[in-house]
Amino acid sequence: MCGIVGCLGRGEDTVDVLMDGLRSLEYRGYDSAGIALGPSMDVLRKSGELDALAEVVDATGPTGTYGIGHTRWSTHGPPNDRNAHPHTDEAGRVAVVHNGIIENYAELKADLQATGVTLTSDTDTEVVPHLIAQALDAGADPETAFHNTVDRLEGSYAIAAVIEDCETIYAARQGSPLVVGVGENCTYLASDVPAFVEHTRDVVFLKDGHRVIATADGYTVLDEDREPVDVDIETVSYTAEATGKSGYDHYMLKEIHEQPTALRQCFSGRSDALEGTVTLEEIDEIPQPNAVQFVACGTSYHAALYGAAILREMGIPAEAYLASEYALSPPPVSLGTLVVGITQSGETADTLAALRDAKSRGVSTLALTNTVNSTAARECDHAVYIRAGPEIGVAATKTFSSQLVGCNLLAEELVDGPRDLRPLIESLRNLPDDVQSILDSSAAEVLVEEYADSEAYFFIGRGTNVAVALEGALKCKEISYEHAEGFPAGELKHGPLALVTPETPVFAVVTGDDERARKTLGNIKEVQARGAPVIAVTDGHSDAAEIADETLMIPETDERAAPVLANVQLQLFSYHLADALGRPIDKPRNLAKSVTVE
Amino acid sequence: MSTSSSATDSLPSSAVVLAAGEGIRLRPLTANRPKPMLPAGTRPILEHVLNALIDARIDDIHLVVGYHANRVRSHFGSTYRDVPITYHEQETQLGSGHALLQARDGPSGSFLLVNGDQIIDHRIVEAVSRAHTATTATLAVVEGPEAVDYGAVHLDGETITELIEQPTASDFRLFNAGVYAFTDRIFETLEALSVERGELPLTDAIQELIAEEAHSVGGVRTDHFWMDATHPWDLLSLSRELLARGWVDAPTVDTDIYVAESAHVHPETTLVGPVVVDSDAVIEAGAVVGPYAAIGESATIGSGSVLNDVVVDTDTTIGPNTTAIELVAGQGCEIGAGLTAGGGPADVILDDHVYSDVDLGGVIADRVDVGGGATLEPGALIGPGATVGDGVVVRGHIDAGSEVVR
Repeated sequence: MCGIVGCLGRGEDTVDVLMDGLRSLEYRGYDSAGIALGPSMDVLRKSGELDALAEVVDATGPTGTYGIGHTRWSTHGPPNDRNAHPHTDEAGRVAVVHNGIIENYAELKADLQATGVTLTSDTDTEVVPHLIAQALDAGADPETAFHNTVDRLEGSYAIAAVIEDCETIYAARQGSPLVVGVGENCTYLASDVPAFVEHTRDVVFLKDGHRVIATADGYTVLDEDREPVDVDIETVSYTAEATGKSGYDHYMLKEIHEQPTALRQCFSGRSDALEGTVTLEEIDEIPQPNAVQFVACGTSYHAALYGAAILREMGIPAEAYLASEYALSPPPVSLGTLVVGITQSGETADTLAALRDAKSRGVSTLALTNTVNSTAARECDHAVYIRAGPEIGVAATKTFSSQLVGCNLLAEELVDGPRDLRPLIESLRNLPDDVQSILDSSAAEVLVEEYADSEAYFFIGRGTNVAVALEGALKCKEISYEHAEGFPAGELKHGPLALVTPETPVFAVVTGDDERARKTLGNIKEVQARGAPVIAVTDGHSDAAEIADETLMIPETDERAAPVLANVQLQLFSYHLADALGRPIDKPRNLAKSVTVE
Repeated sequence: MSTSSSATDSLPSSAVVLAAGEGIRLRPLTANRPKPMLPAGTRPILEHVLNALIDARIDDIHLVVGYHANRVRSHFGSTYRDVPITYHEQETQLGSGHALLQARDGPSGSFLLVNGDQIIDHRIVEAVSRAHTATTATLAVVEGPEAVDYGAVHLDGETITELIEQPTASDFRLFNAGVYAFTDRIFETLEALSVERGELPLTDAIQELIAEEAHSVGGVRTDHFWMDATHPWDLLSLSRELLARGWVDAPTVDTDIYVAESAHVHPETTLVGPVVVDSDAVIEAGAVVGPYAAIGESATIGSGSVLNDVVVDTDTTIGPNTTAIELVAGQGCEIGAGLTAGGGPADVILDDHVYSDVDLGGVIADRVDVGGGATLEPGALIGPGATVGDGVVVRGHIDAGSEVVR
């Protein structure tokens, strides 16, 4: 998983366009970066954040009128200069950037070595420029050499190559995202639209199997048989500035504060408070499924747990599966099973693989995603958009909140039968203001002063609040690097309780005053007996606030909406904890925003 | 680039907007947000200010934020109407001159300066831009009785010769409308002054410019619309003026009735113009809304309610069978069934000052819960987060977060 950029037709601005593009793709990975320029065939590569490459660029002043660039997140070989992209052949005639995994690279490498080629890196990518060079040596023209090479690759990839003496970028997509930006006398290529959206909003979304021959004057899209394909140019609406930090210290904090707006957008126009009905126009015609299987990873998986819980409450058999496990041990499906993939980016490789597996077994699939035209949205039978707006911080915040609202809309649309949804609609309409009131008054930052040097952080909850507990712990570990675990509250005593000490604060998410809440109060006493300080995240319905050592209050609301609010308090705690510890909040080590490798 | 020398090429294209202040006299409405984010109609005052700038072809906006800065940032983000916004933080509010200094690295060359809490017609902005040719500072001059409140000016032709901060009543009719154009020399003047003083009003710098050099401060007379809200009840007159002008962000369904597409208005509802119903708002059966009603985003008006001359802010629910006249309700309030707020005039006490004969039914700050059948006596002020029980008759001022039962 990495980020690719390319541009043609920008003359002496080429280096700046490539570097700016890489900067906007840094969320895809950032352990090394590099660029290759034509016609000079200058190649610069550097491990570390993009600034390290920028220094090299400033120092060496490379020249070129077109080029490709790459920001890397290691899958093969440690992050160092040698493994950074672009990779070249021995003579430096071909330079290649690649996102994804070439599964048959060992075999291709052996073939190359057998013919006397020396490979200098640990990466799977390096075979590509050598194969292209071999084809050139065998007399093929550059385009044919590129096609012949791509034909031999197995796995998932988005590739872009430049070849000496051709003012052309050759690119191919198979399983990893790649888009073309269409400018006036200039052409762009990238893993994602933000890389060039400040130059053009006219975009071609490529499909798997597509190859692109791009020049400054235009581009040709071909299929695997090298036949031209008609593609549509779409105009994307978001602007480059929409991905700026708006004066916040971090994207994550900006996105936490954007939640009222994101939730409003998610819900707007999808309910009729007068009639008490919810409508998702996108899936108006879907019949009620017999069963629902959610597939997702990371934060989206926590949203899936919540979605499955509310569907079960409505009488529909529903389960959440980790996408990376789903295809390895596929649960039985029947006619009438709906498989729902939740993925913010719509490009998460594990989730796409699980959805493809489901599709191959003949069941209908639905993508709940934030990204219009993403691979998941296009490949599934149905797509529902959560409309949260661009999310740049690696740690998902506003998209999780919007996914929870999306799950409610999805469940109410899918399940037939007359019922009065006015109370639910009221609580969902109140969510933006309820979230705002937490943002206006949260005590989370103050709590950090008290607990910042703890040994570990535990998060517990029951029912739909299990999802909140797991998400709270994930957020905490992702950005603060502190040890954090989330558990269904009842599971503590079956093992994890052994870890609980006076140095491990426990966050207990307790909403409402039903049996689940009362049982969680018992678990609070359980950990207090081991000396652990307890922070109750509660709406005040139960006695949690009285029993706990500290409280993070949320406004009173419906039980469906309460998890969204409780989670906002935990987001703020993790953010302020990471900030107090001086962590690089928007770019935590070893992580990237959308994980496009399996 | 062409080298056309048309007049517009030299006009300032950047603007600094001061949006850092709380607006103390508008308490209790400013508990959670600065004055520029209070509602003018259904949208924040600041949104109207930015509209005026963009309508005057400003394409680079610098917002100085401070008090509850995140509310400004999260509302506008990095762009507004495709114009990029840069934020400058003023950590302690030490006056308008100090606020402007925070944006020192922002605009290059000449730029405009406006207050984020005063509504202006874009033609005032254009007039100041055009008049700003040979002076260090140029300011808009308006004629009216408000000179006592805003500071009077002496205008000699096109030159400001004196600023009088506390004029004696009725002596002066010309005042400073708070719309300026500056060259970047203003920053040097401000820095020299800031060394000497703690609090730094912009007017000190302008006085300094006038003292240093004749003809360095220009003035341009304008009679276009200009309006400020000083006290909570001014939000009602502000809303009336905007509604009367149609400065609302929702499509017209009939002459002066504006309803957003995503709003749900029951067919058996009477909307009496001028009235605006913003996105995702809900008006239930039998309600009579207007004239002069601004119903904010996602607000709900219960069935059978009669509202006129009201500002109902975002996410607030008004229960059924409410009668409200001259009422300002903040964000996220839950008002039970059958509230009565019969309208002014009233004597309102604010910060130990008595304002007589104010047309005000009442002010309800953010996130107040009001039970069924409550009554607001004219001029009642309920602080943010307060809870008012069933049937309570509210007189005078209720503190933030307090609970009142019958």
